[in-house]
Amino acid sequence: MRVKVSFLSCLIVLLVGVFSVSAQDTFFGKTAEELFPIPGVAANELEQTLAFEALLAANVPDGRELGEGKTMTFGVLGQGSRGGISGTIYFWRNAFEAATGATLDIVEIPYNQLGTTIPADFLTGQYTYDAFIGAAWQYGDWISNGWIQPVDQWIGDERFTHWTPEDTAPAFRALLQWGGQTYGTQMDGDAQLFYYRHDVLNDPEWQAAYEAEVGEPMPYPMETWQDLLAIAGFFNGKDWNGDGDPDDGISLHLAPGGQGHFHYATLAASFAVTPADGDDPRAVSKYDNVFWFDPDDMTPLINEPGHVLALEFLQELAATGSEAQAGWQLGEAWDNFLGGNAIATFSWGDVGSLSQNEERSTIKGNLGASAILCSSEWYDRETGEFVTDAENPNCVGNTTGGSWHPTMSSFTENAELTYFFMSMIANPSINFYNATTGWQGIDPCCTYQLYQPRGSATSEDYTAVGFNADDMERYINAYGSNVYDKPTSVTYLRIPGTLEYIQETLDIRLSEAMTGQSTAQEALDATAEDWMEITDDLDADSQLEIYQQAIGYGG
Amino acid sequence: MSNRAKYIFLMPGVIWILLFTLFPLVYSFGLSLTNYRLGRNPKYIDFENYAEILGVGEEKPDQKAISTASFSAFLFIGSTAATLIFGTFVAWVFNHNLPFLRQMRAIITMPLFAAPIALGWLGVVIFNEQAGPINNILQGVGLPRINWFIEPIPARFAVMFTDVWQWTPFVFIIVLAAMQAIPDDLYESAQLDTKSNWTLFRWITFPMIAPALGTVMLLRMVESLKIIDIPYSLTRGGPGSVTQTYVYYAYEKGLVGSFQLGEAAALAYLLVVVAIVVSSIYFYRVRERFE
Repeated sequence: MRVKVSFLSCLIVLLVGVFSVSAQDTFFGKTAEELFPIPGVAANELEQTLAFEALLAANVPDGRELGEGKTMTFGVLGQGSRGGISGTIYFWRNAFEAATGATLDIVEIPYNQLGTTIPADFLTGQYTYDAFIGAAWQYGDWISNGWIQPVDQWIGDERFTHWTPEDTAPAFRALLQWGGQTYGTQMDGDAQLFYYRHDVLNDPEWQAAYEAEVGEPMPYPMETWQDLLAIAGFFNGKDWNGDGDPDDGISLHLAPGGQGHFHYATLAASFAVTPADGDDPRAVSKYDNVFWFDPDDMTPLINEPGHVLALEFLQELAATGSEAQAGWQLGEAWDNFLGGNAIATFSWGDVGSLSQNEERSTIKGNLGASAILCSSEWYDRETGEFVTDAENPNCVGNTTGGSWHPTMSSFTENAELTYFFMSMIANPSINFYNATTGWQGIDPCCTYQLYQPRGSATSEDYTAVGFNADDMERYINAYGSNVYDKPTSVTYLRIPGTLEYIQETLDIRLSEAMTGQSTAQEALDATAEDWMEITDDLDADSQLEIYQQAIGYGG
Repeated sequence: MSNRAKYIFLMPGVIWILLFTLFPLVYSFGLSLTNYRLGRNPKYIDFENYAEILGVGEEKPDQKAISTASFSAFLFIGSTAATLIFGTFVAWVFNHNLPFLRQMRAIITMPLFAAPIALGWLGVVIFNEQAGPINNILQGVGLPRINWFIEPIPARFAVMFTDVWQWTPFVFIIVLAAMQAIPDDLYESAQLDTKSNWTLFRWITFPMIAPALGTVMLLRMVESLKIIDIPYSLTRGGPGSVTQTYVYYAYEKGLVGSFQLGEAAALAYLLVVVAIVVSSIYFYRVRERFE
């Protein structure tokens, strides 16, 4: 009897074991190899294993009732199946299809066509997309035209994968919302950070060389843009990496159409924006926390003295890097820094995760990062005077960039199926994994990606995926500091016509200034003139109303 | 043939022209007289769009239209002339008995079959300031490297060179065919008087290929007014907007962001007028020359 009981116990244990192993080895009947085949979806076994673990940890519910036999069409910024942003959708497509029985059609839209393809689709009544991943700056157009719908009704619903906007850092959460409603699900958190070569700047020999040449100690750690200019100027043209060629101080991407205008906005913020006095430094008034337009009448502020000073400074800073920067796209500037040829850059979180990819980076273990720099000189709009204060510089954070994330079409006939996918890739486990790949272009957004006290991530979370602990300590803390610690942040422009204001005018005028075709003042005066025309074309009253709403100005 | 059959055979051509030539022309002209932005109700504004572009009356001329038109004019003259000269020269070389001519001919014509946008992307690599082969060659022969994408004048030439690279084979094919149609006895007779290749080319080859060259020239001129793909992929219209062509500008006006279709249609219509004027002058001159 005892033997029989033991035998039965063993059998039960074995069956449970077999069952549990099989449950862990498959996801809706699909193995890791089927969901993330190599090549095709995953690049290697580590990627496949980590992705599968993330997927299992996400507890994706059964969505076959919602999706069986249906097709969902997803528009996404197009950079290929292994490229930034679009790669994420391709990567999780098999898992979504396994969980729902639906088919996911992916339509890639090139960056320069974002302002054309999606609006044209809606304006001509095609309604091709159930959802699309665009940039947060497009909300002004999308919401004022009624093209996208809120998703609040499904958040927390157990039929969908868990995610909550509460996990998202407030600065990024605001970009998913409009008028108190949530339109987007979390994916990417764009903010520009400051990156530098930790090894070189901490080298006592280089510090001594700096002091000998400049006559004062190296201003390191850097706090202000002015510190950066001094350091980048010192290192530019010297062979500090020992490869036999002169190296660069800064690395920027400034080609028109290459998102270079974001550099300007990030830098100019601390020259042109002042925090509000009183308890809430982020409160928007006529003079404080405004960057783009006068919130009373939509007069462009872009050619005011603070902006002009900032652009002149950017011209000086760019001169401490390769001359070719003026023609560089995003990837070229990143690769110059990641390849160990530049002392510093300021860019999105991608640089942090890409620096850990040894196929693309030579600086793993030597990455320095901090929140975006402050300025010791800035323009006070209220007094109409410049302020210089090196002891208490003006610090303005940013959420510059697209913060690319999915939004749902108002015209979709598959709303719940669409949300199923949106919630799946917003899940903390999956999103954490995405942000650690680097190649997906997904940047940290949420508390589960930040270290204490701002979040719940630990160093082990990052070293487990092969990242360098010291680099991550600097990078993740810099990211948190950027979005939590700055007294204020540059307001995010998301009004109808944002692409026209920024990409079709400012971007081109900046390129003219950065290539010597015009002075900073001329370029920004021309931009202001262009902006006034655009505002008039789009109906100034309506633009003003939406702008006030977008920046939270109460008059 | 019965009258009915005649009309049936004519019908496809008539329908084609009505649908794809006349209708777009009439519709876009109507559009150009409105302030139509996609998604908003259009309002008839007479010739206001034209006045704004040209700066008629109290309006200031559209500076961007002028600057982009000047770059298109640069391509119109420079690219057309360069493709004709290079294409004719290459055809003249290939009209001789040289080794590997067939293989070389196949290689030389390859750019013609590539999409212009792809050639633009290839140009990004070729003209790359730091690692591109052109700058490496320049440096190798002791010349300074050129900032192709940063400085306005080199950027304009980069666009022109890429266009010339694509279209030289087209001129080459047509002109070579024309050269090969010249009877050998003309050369044999002339060689009794001169051995100079230049004299033979000037007085026999050139007059004989002139009609073909004329046709090619017209096609190239009209085509060069329509260039958009190469600057779009090669320079994104930069630095600033110095390599934006007029068509690129019209495209941006009408189809990027603002969707100002009324103004874009007016820009396009002005280009149609220019193309008609150019081709009319050309045909008038050709008729005068050959009839």
